[in-house]
Amino acid sequence: MTQNKYQKSCFFYLILLPAVLVMLWLTIYPVLNVFTLSFFKYNYLSDEKVFVGLGNYIKLLKENLFMEAFRNTLVFSVLATAGEVILGIALALLFYGHFRGKKSFMIIAIFPMMVSSMVICAVWKTLYHYDIGLINFLLRETGAQPVGWLIDQSKALFSVVIIDVWQWTPFAFIMMQAAMGSIPEEIFEAAQIDGASYMKTVFSITMPILSDQIMLLIMLRTIDTFKLFGKVYALTQGGPGNSTETLSYYIYREGFSYFNLGKASTASIFVLLVVAGISFIYIGKILKKD
Amino acid sequence: MKKIFLVCLMPLLIFSAFAAGQQETGEKKVTLTVAGRDGSYGDSMQLAADSYSAQNPSVDFELLKLSGSSLFEKSVIDMKSGLGSYDVILVDDPNITQFQKVGWLANLSDMFKNSGKSVDSGFIGSVLKLGKYPYTNDGPLFALPFAGNVELFAYRTDLFEKYNLEAPDTWDQVLTAVKTIDENEADVNGVVFRGSKGNPIVTGFLPIFWSYGAKILDDNGNVTVNSPEALNALNYFLKLAKYAPEGVSMYQSAQVKDAIYSGKAAVVTEVWPGWINKLEDPTESAVVGKVKVIKHPGQVEKSSPMIGVWMIAIPEASKNKEAAFDFINFATSEATQDDMAKQFGNPPTRGVVYGRAELTKKYPWYPAQLDALNNGVARTRTTKWKEIEAQMGTALQFALIGERTAEEALADAEKGIIEVLK
Repeated sequence: MTQNKYQKSCFFYLILLPAVLVMLWLTIYPVLNVFTLSFFKYNYLSDEKVFVGLGNYIKLLKENLFMEAFRNTLVFSVLATAGEVILGIALALLFYGHFRGKKSFMIIAIFPMMVSSMVICAVWKTLYHYDIGLINFLLRETGAQPVGWLIDQSKALFSVVIIDVWQWTPFAFIMMQAAMGSIPEEIFEAAQIDGASYMKTVFSITMPILSDQIMLLIMLRTIDTFKLFGKVYALTQGGPGNSTETLSYYIYREGFSYFNLGKASTASIFVLLVVAGISFIYIGKILKKD
Repeated sequence: MKKIFLVCLMPLLIFSAFAAGQQETGEKKVTLTVAGRDGSYGDSMQLAADSYSAQNPSVDFELLKLSGSSLFEKSVIDMKSGLGSYDVILVDDPNITQFQKVGWLANLSDMFKNSGKSVDSGFIGSVLKLGKYPYTNDGPLFALPFAGNVELFAYRTDLFEKYNLEAPDTWDQVLTAVKTIDENEADVNGVVFRGSKGNPIVTGFLPIFWSYGAKILDDNGNVTVNSPEALNALNYFLKLAKYAPEGVSMYQSAQVKDAIYSGKAAVVTEVWPGWINKLEDPTESAVVGKVKVIKHPGQVEKSSPMIGVWMIAIPEASKNKEAAFDFINFATSEATQDDMAKQFGNPPTRGVVYGRAELTKKYPWYPAQLDALNNGVARTRTTKWKEIEAQMGTALQFALIGERTAEEALADAEKGIIEVLK
């Protein structure tokens, strides 16, 4: 009987093996390769490859541009994630329950998420234009001073945050909407009978029940925003100055413009470690509850 | 029965598949894969490929129309892997040094020799030299000039006349004119240029930098970017930038083109042939007959426009080198250059084409363009040009947006470039 069970397990492992090998090849191998390269000064174009140990890591930590890119990425990630999650929850609360036109609203709401980022950037670039942009036109009409949305060093990163929040709040909204739909209505009815106010119901009942989903949402958006690339590439190319430099853009430039694969790999490992760290914190919290 | 039928059918299918690759005459079909640029360069390449196919029915083309950065990435990855996916590639001229240092391009001098031909003398000398490695007059040739791109300078003749300003011969005269017009014309910006960091701002700045006698690297490869000449040039640039529109630090080619065509700029310190090919078309331009395009003014040194030629080359790994060689000669021939200029404004690389009456009527700045190509300055020949340009571009933009003084910016550029060259 035991031998039969053992044979069965072997059989399952055997048929799983090709899939496992493919998965290892596609995930573990590239990561290991990047990790190995991070210890070399390696230019793909000239083929110069010299082992430098932790040299690339030390160099990056001392490099102003890299540190600025790291700081910008962190600021962007925190602001965009916070904005999207808070607005997503607020919208889900606002549109909780059944009402006429809800389906139409949902379709309109998810529209920004469906459009390509490049198209969105082209539209927003026009809206943000200092001289002919709609936003500055409206500001001038109301007697206010025009704003250098993408040309002012102190505002450019926040302008990119606004676009990301506009694009991805619908995702947070849909996720929260689905999560709220799974809460039994009796709980709210009981709270109402007990005389709980709306705010009390939201903060003492809805939020604690949704905390796992909110945590998951924060994790997904943090990981995604940490990889910000397309919007910077299309809107600002890292400028003005270094105000919108991000880690992904830095890696792209080192890797595909200069082909300094050693340095690009080191920066990639850095991003991987940070993202993995964030994920472990969230996953740890979720698992702890379980 | 079915099995017998299938067994008989298989050889027939295989035979027909092979036969499909043969011409009726028995000549083998060749497909040349060309990695080229988008926009008018792509249209010009398409024209060359179509004309060549019409004359040589055995040759087909697969043409990739790519952005500059995508073309560079794809070319590098293909040539490094040695796959030979591309038979013909367009190369921005400074990259010839980078590509040939590692021997990725086919030696055209040898191919000319083996085919009993020689490079004809119709090419503009300074432009043909860009295809040589090492970059000397006698070096072997690895690419032919496809698009004779050179940076030019444009100004509004009507406004210069209105304020009795002389045609600018020096950068000092430019500053006076820009200041006068900017202060008197409410709807016109004194000067417009690309101020985005990296390649755009560096490209716009180099003709000023060089004409003030500054150099990024000296002849021995030492970094000389932080020199008194460079400081004079940057101080001048910052004075000029005071009359540029708000947000010029993020201007790309689209904004500059828009400013010229809509008549919002009195002086544009950087225009390229591809940007101005519809300047005299009333359906596209509000300034027909009002803009003069010239080579850049000089200052301490003579006029120093930047040459930015697109070269056409054959990767060493190509499997169709002979056909590719014949095609690149065709694409850079006098007749094809003439057609490409007529139809798409592709800047020719042969002096004689600039003299064609039909073309000079359509593009009145052709004599200036030829002059600029003959007297232009090529970017520094180094394998690290892109990184040097990035360092320089970041420092310049910090100066432009007022985050660093001219002295600090040049010191930053020097430090960054030294680090890159280590």
